[in-house]
Amino acid sequence: MAGRGKLIAVIGDEDTCTGFLLGGIGELNKNRKPNFLVVEKDTSITEIEETFKSFLVRNDIGIILINQFIAEMIRHAIDAHMESIPAVLEIPSKEHPYDASKDSILRRAKGMFSAEDFR
Amino acid sequence: MGLSKTEETCLLLDEKLLQYMDQLELLQEKRATLNTLIEQGWFSLSKARYSMGNKQVSSLQYASEMEPQISVQARAVENDGLEFCTERITVQSPTERVQNTTAVEDIGPKEEGVRRRIKSSKDISGQEELVGASTEKPSLQTTEPPSVSLSNKCDQNPQADPLKWFGILVPQTLKQAQSSFRQVIELSAEIATLQAAVLKTRKELNLGLKLENKVGQVH
Repeated sequence: MAGRGKLIAVIGDEDTCTGFLLGGIGELNKNRKPNFLVVEKDTSITEIEETFKSFLVRNDIGIILINQFIAEMIRHAIDAHMESIPAVLEIPSKEHPYDASKDSILRRAKGMFSAEDFR
Repeated sequence: MGLSKTEETCLLLDEKLLQYMDQLELLQEKRATLNTLIEQGWFSLSKARYSMGNKQVSSLQYASEMEPQISVQARAVENDGLEFCTERITVQSPTERVQNTTAVEDIGPKEEGVRRRIKSSKDISGQEELVGASTEKPSLQTTEPPSVSLSNKCDQNPQADPLKWFGILVPQTLKQAQSSFRQVIELSAEIATLQAAVLKTRKELNLGLKLENKVGQVH
């Protein structure tokens, strides 16, 4: 995999995962570990967090796409990730439109212009 | 007339700030495009589900073996920047696949041609007069299958195209969904590049502000 570039991982609802897998990003590696997680009603937050962290430590993943409402559940883990690879992208979901004010990158950017910066 | 050090730092900061604003604006534009494309993709998926059936487009149809068709290259660019770009992983052409498969011993029934039902003795006796004239027909059953059948067999590889997971004759809307999501994947690589650039400029801007504060305190 190292010579072929990195993978794109997805954590999202069924339609989001189906769409991206249809686009051709899906992979099951030798240990049959997928690069995606379909979050359903009964998926626990612990499971989501563990999967996210496992994607962060995998060196064959370049970008992690995550539905924003799922990102909200594990916000502390996303905010703690400071590395540029893998890049974490928050995307909208069918029931939850994208809200820029919740995006971790844009919140960091907004923090740039707080009153303290201009003192 | 030369500029003082404070003025130089301020000009540099202004330049960085403008660059930062431009990057944020571009990021917002790309985000809006991504949201539109992803919505289009979901809409096409829903239309496909409507025509194929509720359970026909779901996670149950995912293949048990998957190979990525798109990968991301993360390259370091000048000034410690980072660039993500997608590239399609080339799948072997049908002819190459045929060559590969011929090397492997084929286990199982060899006959691939059209099969004929074996008729019962009653039918045979009834139609003996009609069939009796022609002795070529049994030889038809043993004719070699056309060479096309081998390539057809290779095309049935479930890893080849995720569209095949959902059936052989999938509706046009599912193809549209695939095309939308492919565009989203390409756009997400661009957004990842832009996010990295925004964070880098922010870091530089912070450093510049601290430097400017220090210079201001000295004066």
